[in-house]
Amino acid sequence: MIKVSGVTKKYPARLAVDDISFEVGRGEIVGFLGPNGAGKTTTMRMLTGYLAMNAGKIEVAGFDVAKQPLEVRRRIGYLPESCPLYPEMRVDEYLRFRAELKGVKPSARKAKMNEVKEQCGLTEVGKRIIGQLSKGYRQRVGLADSLVHDPELLILDEPTVGLDPYQIRQVRELIKQLSEKHTILLCTHILPEVEAICERILIINEGRIVAADTEANLHKKLHACTVIEMEVMAGKDEAVAKIDEVEGMDIRSASELNDGWVWLEIEADSPAMRVELFNLAVTEGWTVRELTEQEHSLEDTFVQITRNKGGAQ
Amino acid sequence: MSTFLSLFKKEIRTCFLSPIAFVVLFFFWVLTGLNFWWLLVQLADGESLTMATQQMFGGLICFSLLVIVPLITMRLFAEERKLGTLESLLTTPLTAVELVAAKFAGSLVFYMVLWLPVVAYTVIQQKLSPAEALQFPDFGAMRSGLLGVMLVGGLYIAIGLLMSSLTSNQIVAAISGFALLSIFFFSTLFMAYTSSNPSVRIVGQYLSPYAHLLDFSRGMVDSRTIALYLSYTAWFLFTAVKVVEYKKT
Repeated sequence: MIKVSGVTKKYPARLAVDDISFEVGRGEIVGFLGPNGAGKTTTMRMLTGYLAMNAGKIEVAGFDVAKQPLEVRRRIGYLPESCPLYPEMRVDEYLRFRAELKGVKPSARKAKMNEVKEQCGLTEVGKRIIGQLSKGYRQRVGLADSLVHDPELLILDEPTVGLDPYQIRQVRELIKQLSEKHTILLCTHILPEVEAICERILIINEGRIVAADTEANLHKKLHACTVIEMEVMAGKDEAVAKIDEVEGMDIRSASELNDGWVWLEIEADSPAMRVELFNLAVTEGWTVRELTEQEHSLEDTFVQITRNKGGAQ
Repeated sequence: MSTFLSLFKKEIRTCFLSPIAFVVLFFFWVLTGLNFWWLLVQLADGESLTMATQQMFGGLICFSLLVIVPLITMRLFAEERKLGTLESLLTTPLTAVELVAAKFAGSLVFYMVLWLPVVAYTVIQQKLSPAEALQFPDFGAMRSGLLGVMLVGGLYIAIGLLMSSLTSNQIVAAISGFALLSIFFFSTLFMAYTSSNPSVRIVGQYLSPYAHLLDFSRGMVDSRTIALYLSYTAWFLFTAVKVVEYKKT
């Protein structure tokens, strides 16, 4: 669906995107992550043909963005980051205007507008003036606009900004539903959103793609060893010494809690070594109240990739 | 074509939803009203009837266009840039040519609405005229006068539109439009009427909108002048299209 090869974008003062290449297949739902100023929005703008690139080639649905921009734009539904709208227009007026621009047939316009209004929860505010709507409703108007011509590819830049938690859930549900029919590129800062929705993740940092994989694979690559947390009732020094003796285990940190229990963080070769730890505790006569494998959140992974790897591909 | 029409309808609607449109309408209509009153006073004093249409479309009123037109056009692209809607427009399947054409056409229509009272005044004159003044009012001169203000207005709008396409600040667009129009208007005016060098005077008369409006409102339609205005206007619009295509930030 999207094929980006060797794309570079220079601004007068800096290199915004540096020779990136990636592909997104039809029907995929891909999260596009990166710190502020990493080149996310620039990349999206080049995908939609709004910005011209300095080098490289982008194909969307088989059309070259530089050579057939109108064909590409017909197939893209784009929600820009700031969700720009005309404050003086009414919701219905705006959606009709956008449907006209995007070439929705007059006969299908009314039905299509009602459909997207229903999907985005706008049925009741059709007659309201956009400038008087709350941020959440405005965001939904932007989303409805991006859907109104039934695009093959949806590019959403921060779709849940400004929504309340209930609306965020609704929008996530909506995006999931949409992913059955559309290819989606979701650009966001909100990592749980990506965890909840996306099949695959692209991480961009300092203008380069630094990771492109599924979430599970990313974790695997980054975290070679397992970290086990344990809380026991035992002498701290004794427990540390005994555990260090076991092959394949190292104490990362240990501390005495206020209530007398000892908290240990152990690096182990595999999660299965929890069993050995339990057996050790039994033989030593320690009481155990917690024994868990640390989960890696996408946030950890994200921070690690964008910080440690710097710009390395 | 349908894209152009939707954009055009949107332009007209936005124009009449903005308070600036009504402020501009109010002041321009007050000015043309005063102008008409002054004309009647002069006619009552026995002034020649031949100056009547000239007074309505040419003369003092064309100085006000230097301010009025930039106020109409300052919004066109500067507001879209400020709101970020230029991005959402240019990511739909439309071309910059359609966008510029629709904005130009919308402004031109609003500009011609400004002149509606003048048409009404002409009709009023006709109703009030004594039977012996058969030649008055001169509808032919009124038509060519309208053509003149449309051509001059078209050029002014194109200049204002280009200025608006260059910035995201409406005030900057208005002031730079006013500055450019004033430089053009007054330099050609002084060339045509005050220069001591005869060849400079001739060049000035060929270029001065003031002189052209006087000619048009006398009923003089010169195809050279029409070609001049149309090509000027086309050039400024073409430049604006290129600016919209390439200036994205």
